[in-house]
Amino acid sequence: MEARKSSLFMTALVAVIFLYLLAPVILVFPLSFSGDAVLAFPPSKWGVRWYTALVADPTIGKAFLVSLGLGVIVTLLSLLIALPAAVVIVRLKTKGSGALYNLFTAPLLLPTIVLGLAILIAFASFNLLATFHGLVLAHLVVTLPYALRVLATALGNLPLAVEEAAATLGASPLTVFRRVTLPLLKPGMVAAGALCFLVSFDEVVITLFLTGPRITTLPVELFHRVEMSADPLVASVSALLIVLTLVVVLIVDRSAGLSRTFVR
Amino acid sequence: MNAVPGAGASRRAVLALLFPIMLVNLIGFIVPMLNLGLLSFKEALTGGGIGEKFTLANWVTLVTDDFNRELLLNSVGVSLAITVAALVLSYPIALYIQRAEGLWRSILIVLVISPLLTSAVVRTYGWVVILSDQGGLPSLLNAIGLTAPRMIFNTTGVIVGLTEILMPYMIVSLLAGFGRLDPRLEEAAATLGASPIQSFWRVVFPLTLPGVALGCLLVFVLSVSSFITPKLLGGGRVFLLATEIYDQAIVTLNWPLAATLSILVLVLFGLVLVVYGRAVAALD
Amino acid sequence: MSLDAIGSVGGSHAPGEAGYLSIEALSKHHGAARSVDSLSLSIEKGELVALLGPSGCGKTTTLRMIAGLTPATSGRILVAGNEVTAVPTHKRDMGLVFQSYALFPHLTIAQNVAFGLEMRRLPRVEIRTRVAAALEMVHLSGREDRKPSQLSGGQQQRVALARALVIKPSILLLDEPLSNLDAKLRDEMRNEIRDIQTRLGITAVFVTHDQVEALAMCDKVAVMEAGRLSQVGTPEDVYERPANPFVASFVGRINRVAVEGRGNNAVAFQDQLFRTEHSVIGPATMMVRPHRVAIGTDDGARSGTANSLRGHVVRVTYVGDLLQYDVDIGGTSFMVEAATRGIAAAFRVRDAVRLEWQPADTLVFGAAP
Repeated sequence: MEARKSSLFMTALVAVIFLYLLAPVILVFPLSFSGDAVLAFPPSKWGVRWYTALVADPTIGKAFLVSLGLGVIVTLLSLLIALPAAVVIVRLKTKGSGALYNLFTAPLLLPTIVLGLAILIAFASFNLLATFHGLVLAHLVVTLPYALRVLATALGNLPLAVEEAAATLGASPLTVFRRVTLPLLKPGMVAAGALCFLVSFDEVVITLFLTGPRITTLPVELFHRVEMSADPLVASVSALLIVLTLVVVLIVDRSAGLSRTFVR
Repeated sequence: MNAVPGAGASRRAVLALLFPIMLVNLIGFIVPMLNLGLLSFKEALTGGGIGEKFTLANWVTLVTDDFNRELLLNSVGVSLAITVAALVLSYPIALYIQRAEGLWRSILIVLVISPLLTSAVVRTYGWVVILSDQGGLPSLLNAIGLTAPRMIFNTTGVIVGLTEILMPYMIVSLLAGFGRLDPRLEEAAATLGASPIQSFWRVVFPLTLPGVALGCLLVFVLSVSSFITPKLLGGGRVFLLATEIYDQAIVTLNWPLAATLSILVLVLFGLVLVVYGRAVAALD
Repeated sequence: MSLDAIGSVGGSHAPGEAGYLSIEALSKHHGAARSVDSLSLSIEKGELVALLGPSGCGKTTTLRMIAGLTPATSGRILVAGNEVTAVPTHKRDMGLVFQSYALFPHLTIAQNVAFGLEMRRLPRVEIRTRVAAALEMVHLSGREDRKPSQLSGGQQQRVALARALVIKPSILLLDEPLSNLDAKLRDEMRNEIRDIQTRLGITAVFVTHDQVEALAMCDKVAVMEAGRLSQVGTPEDVYERPANPFVASFVGRINRVAVEGRGNNAVAFQDQLFRTEHSVIGPATMMVRPHRVAIGTDDGARSGTANSLRGHVVRVTYVGDLLQYDVDIGGTSFMVEAATRGIAAAFRVRDAVRLEWQPADTLVFGAAP
């Protein structure tokens, strides 16, 4: 099948629109090297003052550690909780399986502003506001559906016959899981893990409802700073965050083929 | 017989495996959402607490209050504008990517999707910089000689920024819908005497309508519920449903009203889904 | 169903004497539907038995129940006298070769073959020796470190076979292992599998829908239809003395004509009488194998006691070693196969011909009561 070549006009048009599409993400990088004291683009002078300021800023540092720790714990818990659920839903084909799957992926359908409010009000009575474990729980609500989706798909693609073959060769169900299912699920687990980490690390709206002076995450801290005044410090943080995201994506692509996962 | 993990597992084992996810789902999702629904029927007391009785006061306020009515109309209007803008801008990109091949195609898709993986704050910040008075777009336009409109802390800025932020969703939906496109159809149209423009409107575009419908649904729903971008780009001066929910909950501490507004958002979603369902059915 | 069928189900022993692998009244129900209906079969040690039948007849389900992958609704399965019906798959000591081969994609060929031995906790040295021997037996030495995706279909199939055999199972089960191979490879593998099975003396059950495979490879053929056993017997039994029209038409090609049984070893068709091996009264089916029918010019003469029909040729098909004639015998089509004796000696379309065959080759089955 020959693909139709796009005309020059089309290519130019698309290039302009792509510029619009990528502008904010790209712009952040030169801006982070601004030497100005206040926000101005283009910068009148260049320098790394905002990176040094970043390193010296204690609040940002603490917020980053919270986000990192939160991300790691939420990712590990998501995998631990979603994997058994995926096994039940995919392998145990009861009439309830489809309904369970829909129930557990339902949080994805709701806007985070509504979810955040609901969780704020509920957690107030549970005394979970502005606590680390409250944040873990809240993040799990939005990461579990992603983890379940990816793991259920990966498990569904695993031919049952391979697991059955292991059983006929003398492997108990637990051994089958350990020696056959898990190794074959590795790409799916890596993809699910990366997704959960990024979702948790970037989560801002629900987290906004659950943070305060006592505890805050990096995106929430950035939000407050942009809200107050468009601090160029945010540019350096943003630049680093974008690089971090790219690194994670590249790692996943290496081991699981990200472009293959999302693109047909 | 459970040869395979999961198949034929006992009732007990199944419950044990599902327990953690059910627990999280219950405490973090079901109970809060039910609570939210109930709360919209309770009244906020002047002392700061929440009344015990069930009342429709919040809903009455919603319908009769001018501010709230304008809020709803504003939100819907802005979201419609964003949806249309996103569609018009995304369509050429999606077509271009559809026609691209191999590595170039993969690269383009990664470029489109990767912004989605960064935080909304980061992406919105970029727009704050671009649209602000002291730099970026307005100064560029002034330098060329055009008078730049005010694009920060107003609705225009929100539309410009949010459209860009949501375009990847539109592009991906369109690409999914473009699966039905075959270059040979355009060739057939050409042999039958259609000009490129006619070929597009009469053959290509109609085939892509399911993708268009899905993309519009997605973008509309996402922009109605969007909070970070309107809050930051609007600077507190743009009032939409999402920002109002936040303000009522955190600033005014009128949780019942905030809850009511949230339910309103969900109702709006439901209506949009119905419209989408009708549109898709009509397309077939 | 004729009495022969009932008699041959259950294998070739006196009732009460069980074989090495014994299946008793095995059934699988899904609600009202029965994919396997009270199946009983007895298999001797060292026998290769085919479960033969069309798609959906329940043969794969039966095999899976023997392996324990599908739980039986009712019935018993016994190996060497011990009941295994409730024993989980991984304790049954049966090797299974899957239709899709089901090789472990993340393990090398050697690791695949070694898997079953590792499960049995054999010492590493012994595992290595046995794996090497198994791979040599299937002619795949030297490919130990490849992954399954790097092998061709035929090679993967041989790995699957080695993997199932290396554990020296008490029973070998094969689920249509040759159906994904091309014709030439299929013939080769057929002989290889049979040779290995005979050499090792392993009891084996072989599921297939290909009757040529079943006849060529196996000691006994169990023909299944709609969840039940239609007939069990040697390949010759099943081909020459089919128990019912289904078996007759499923195993090999056969002609089929609706006739009226008159008793006394005779049936009536088109105002003629035909001599048969059995007597039936009432509506019946007469069946003759195409290659047992002689075709000649219609010159009025009839030879002795042969059954005979007149008709004219409607189609001639040349397939190299055979000529197939479709002959119209008054509204019905009769197939005749003749060895090729040079195309010049062949009949042509519209030729008037006389067909003849022996009463001994005439099968007849009464209608079900």
